[in-house]
Amino acid sequence: MALLRMEDWYDLARETNWTPTYVSEDEMFPEPMSKDFGIPIEVWETFDEPYKVTYRDYVRSQRDKDVAAYSVKAALARAEFFKKASPHWKALLALHFSAVCWAEFHSASSFGRMTRFGRSPGLRNMATFGTLDEIRHGQIQIYFAYEFLKHDAVFDWCHKSSKTENWIIISLRHALDDIAHTRDAVTSAVMLNMGLEQSFTNLQFVALSADAAKCGDHTFATMLQSIQTDEARHAQMGEPMVRILCENGRKDEAQQMVEIAFWRMWKQFSALSGIGMDYYTPLEHREYSLKEFMEEWVIGQFGRTIEALGLDLPWYWDYLHHDISTFHHAQQVGVYAYRATQWWRPIASVSPAEREWLEKKYPGWNDTYGKCWDVITENIRNGHYDKTVPVAPPLICNMCGLEVSGIAGDHWHPVDHHVDMDDRRYHFCSEVCKWIFELEPARYKGHKSIIDRVFDGTIGPEIDDFYNYMGQSEQERGVCGYDYQWIDGYDKPAAAAE
Amino acid sequence: MAMFPLACNLQGDYGYKVIVVDDGDTIADVIETTVEQVAGVFVAPFPDGTVLKAKVHGSDEPLADDLVVKDAGFVQMEALIVYAEA
Repeated sequence: MALLRMEDWYDLARETNWTPTYVSEDEMFPEPMSKDFGIPIEVWETFDEPYKVTYRDYVRSQRDKDVAAYSVKAALARAEFFKKASPHWKALLALHFSAVCWAEFHSASSFGRMTRFGRSPGLRNMATFGTLDEIRHGQIQIYFAYEFLKHDAVFDWCHKSSKTENWIIISLRHALDDIAHTRDAVTSAVMLNMGLEQSFTNLQFVALSADAAKCGDHTFATMLQSIQTDEARHAQMGEPMVRILCENGRKDEAQQMVEIAFWRMWKQFSALSGIGMDYYTPLEHREYSLKEFMEEWVIGQFGRTIEALGLDLPWYWDYLHHDISTFHHAQQVGVYAYRATQWWRPIASVSPAEREWLEKKYPGWNDTYGKCWDVITENIRNGHYDKTVPVAPPLICNMCGLEVSGIAGDHWHPVDHHVDMDDRRYHFCSEVCKWIFELEPARYKGHKSIIDRVFDGTIGPEIDDFYNYMGQSEQERGVCGYDYQWIDGYDKPAAAAE
Repeated sequence: MAMFPLACNLQGDYGYKVIVVDDGDTIADVIETTVEQVAGVFVAPFPDGTVLKAKVHGSDEPLADDLVVKDAGFVQMEALIVYAEA
């Protein structure tokens, strides 16, 4: 019997809508999960994904990807690579695996919501593959990361982190809960796919994979490529949703979904990947700075994508141009200074050669954030290690959960935005974080940052109470990844020279 | 007398720090505490003789040095800028 060609049966196989008879349509698709935006079901049924895939092809392709990734892992004796890797790369691996593994795994729930409650049969079909993708991404990354556990207990956090109240995890979880786990199926599809996967993760995995290959970490590179190809496929699910919304009088809603999600993910991307790209990637292997990457791949390419879909560039696009040169530099100072609150071993990455690179990529860096590093550097050079550990905690943004920061040094420019509500002051690191809060205060106002929890008594008064609350035993508190030896690149200690 | 957290940004620092003072403290005390906790850690110590002032973020007017925190009308976590007088 001759086989039909895929294009002859694909649409029939994926169009699984039916008329419910045992329950009402409202019961089958309850509004909170299946909001239809007033668009009739016939229109949602026109969802047409750019990437077509059948289950048989999907399984074959995923099996091949897994075989390739696991084969490379086995062949390259990864443990040996890890032993020889620099503290730079170890910090990057620890940060990546502990922030990404669980986030991928949790994304399966978001795709599961689209699979069950999506109004478009095509979306439900694609989201089914997306759910399987995310389970695989979580599993493969935890499996690869766990190999390091016998060498370094830091990697326990690849699995543990999501269950803790560590402040960085609170920040990331709040963002992902907001865009992926607490919205209806349509909004989740637009926010997760457009605001995260199409704008950031797809590109991040390409860039990080390239960096890994340059560092000789071919196992990590192959694993990332294996994931990226999935991201590229299901990142395409958001576009048809946006088109349907725009063509049916719901452009404003679609615009807002993209603006919220993009900004929330930018803040996470800036702090985690920005530090990874501009500080944790070994200098000899750095190619793009975060700013260059953002300008070319995100502001440029993603900007053109959303305009092509009929949306406008987000209202904060000009501010984003400024933020890509500042925010992550401020966060890096804080991540290093408050290193005991991290579970990995943060590195400063401000040796003379690295400062030269930063100044070249970010003209004026030495006169701004470099001034803070001058103080930290001098303290280490003079053996004043106690002064490299701040007494005062930082102010945390009540939206993104990261430090409220501005420009340091000679061009000092403090930044703070706030809202007073219900006898409480909410601080924000940017006008955009404040804008998101004010769009829906009831949604956000109950959340407390780690600092709020200190001052409302949720966390006990002793310093160990703070770390215990964050799930960090004494052995799980970050220390300088180079044990301060990065200072060797400088001249003799100033005091000794005198 | 009660602990009162303020958000203070000392000139040159990259971001705000939470500085806990006593609500009976004056602004001069707030400035001193901020300098104690931030200068020499994130910001180079100020030269001798530097006069530091504080103002509420977004305001142009410096706060009086002898203003007492509990009389200042601050909310908890009020954002203050601590800067060198020109």
